[in-house]
Amino acid sequence: MPPKSLLLPMIKFEEVTKKYGSANAVEDISFEAKEGEFIFLTGHSGAGKTTLIRLLLREITPTSGKVLIEGRDIKDLKSEEIPFYRRKIGVIFQDFKLLPDRTVYENVKLATEIDGRTTPKEEKKIEEALEKVNMSSRANLFPRQLSGGEIQRTVIARVLVQEPKIILADEPTGNLDPETGRQIVDLLGQAGKVGVTVLMATHNADIVNALKHRVVNLKNGKITRDDKSGKYKND
Amino acid sequence: MINTSWKHIRRSPYQALTAVLIMTITFFVATILVVLAYASSSVLKYYETRPQVIAYLKKDVPTEDISAFQNKLEADTRIEDVRFVSKEQALQIYKDATANNPLLSEFVSPKVFPASIEFSVKDLSFAQPLIGELENEGVVEEVAFTASLGSNQNLSQVVERLTSISQYIRVGGGIILTFLLLSSLLVLLVITGMRIASRREEIEILQLIGATPTFIRGPFLLEGMFYGLMGATVGWLFAFLLTLYLSPSLVSFFQGIPFLPKDMLGILQLFGIILGGQIILASALGTLGSFIALKRYLKI
Repeated sequence: MPPKSLLLPMIKFEEVTKKYGSANAVEDISFEAKEGEFIFLTGHSGAGKTTLIRLLLREITPTSGKVLIEGRDIKDLKSEEIPFYRRKIGVIFQDFKLLPDRTVYENVKLATEIDGRTTPKEEKKIEEALEKVNMSSRANLFPRQLSGGEIQRTVIARVLVQEPKIILADEPTGNLDPETGRQIVDLLGQAGKVGVTVLMATHNADIVNALKHRVVNLKNGKITRDDKSGKYKND
Repeated sequence: MINTSWKHIRRSPYQALTAVLIMTITFFVATILVVLAYASSSVLKYYETRPQVIAYLKKDVPTEDISAFQNKLEADTRIEDVRFVSKEQALQIYKDATANNPLLSEFVSPKVFPASIEFSVKDLSFAQPLIGELENEGVVEEVAFTASLGSNQNLSQVVERLTSISQYIRVGGGIILTFLLLSSLLVLLVITGMRIASRREEIEILQLIGATPTFIRGPFLLEGMFYGLMGATVGWLFAFLLTLYLSPSLVSFFQGIPFLPKDMLGILQLFGIILGGQIILASALGTLGSFIALKRYLKI
């Protein structure tokens, strides 16, 4: 019999509604994501993609319904448990979120520092991650000295070093040219192949159609389509 | 965490300088006030413990009786520094005191001067009852309480005056110091608040990647502690150098009254104790300032 963790979905939304005042940001959302699954969250701006990501990060809690990670309702997390929970989640944002006063290497190292991991083995992991995203030669530069694609690759290196179970990417290619965007998604795809669940919010039809992963489309805060065919459609 | 704190400090040098400067002023004044309190206490002690009571002995008292009387005084816990002054020693004291006018001592014989026993009291409140007791002693001819200190002041008046000065220094100094410590705390609070505001995005990123509140708050607390330590050390150093610079003039002003430790080792010990105390206080103050700011401005 497989362990319980393999039977449970990595992510499960159960009839989740999030309201801001009387306005619904998301409404009655239910879907699951298995370990190692790659899902595109599509939809127009304001459709509720970022709200789902913020719910998963436990930045906000649902007004009703449950968000379960490996079977545990994350609303029940105590405040002191949240940082440890977030270490299981790698986050990639459209606006990058790198520390401006730290070099590429230091930004990547941050993921191990906050975890208290400072052994030579960890340093090797950092170097490997930088190599994987092709940033080794830029390791000593500061974010302001990098292009958009290089910054996003640095963020991915930080996420890889973090060794998360889930990667949440909120429009990671939004500020990048198509070619660079494609490289970023390829890197995320590689993470999916090693058992990491990837949830990527995007409205880049080319990328969605090229990769043919599962697509969950949102409109006005509701799921309008959960499609395994991997096609981007304007619902 | 130390590296992060150091980066924070280097990135905003003017804020850091402001914090260190206010701390320096506070701990400079604190050091001076402690030295003043020490000096006033030393001067007070000097006056309180100098020979105050002189029991003039009757003529032709046998030596055994004098010794017995001296032993009795030495055994009295209210008394210290008991000293027998013979007729010859009394004459010498007189000659020394009238050295400017040799005629006054030319024809004086030791026989004119009575032998005496001098001593000081541990507390001036013991003086009056002791004088009464001594007057009833068979060997004692007369009891004198202190020498005049010039003008109309006697020793008890000087001690009273010094006691009130010493109290003024302690109370006034305490108020000034409290005010300065409070100002330092507020300046640190404002500076840490500004630093938190300027790092809002950085804090958000750290939270998103799973940094604990301790990891985020730590560098701010260390920063506050650093300002405290720097300010205390620099303020102390200025005060120490100022004291050394003024020492010759002060020694001449106090005319041999030991207001500070006599040797360099003693001075170093005094200032070492002050530095130790200030480092503890400054670290606590710096950390407290940052802690309050974090509680107020960083809700994580």
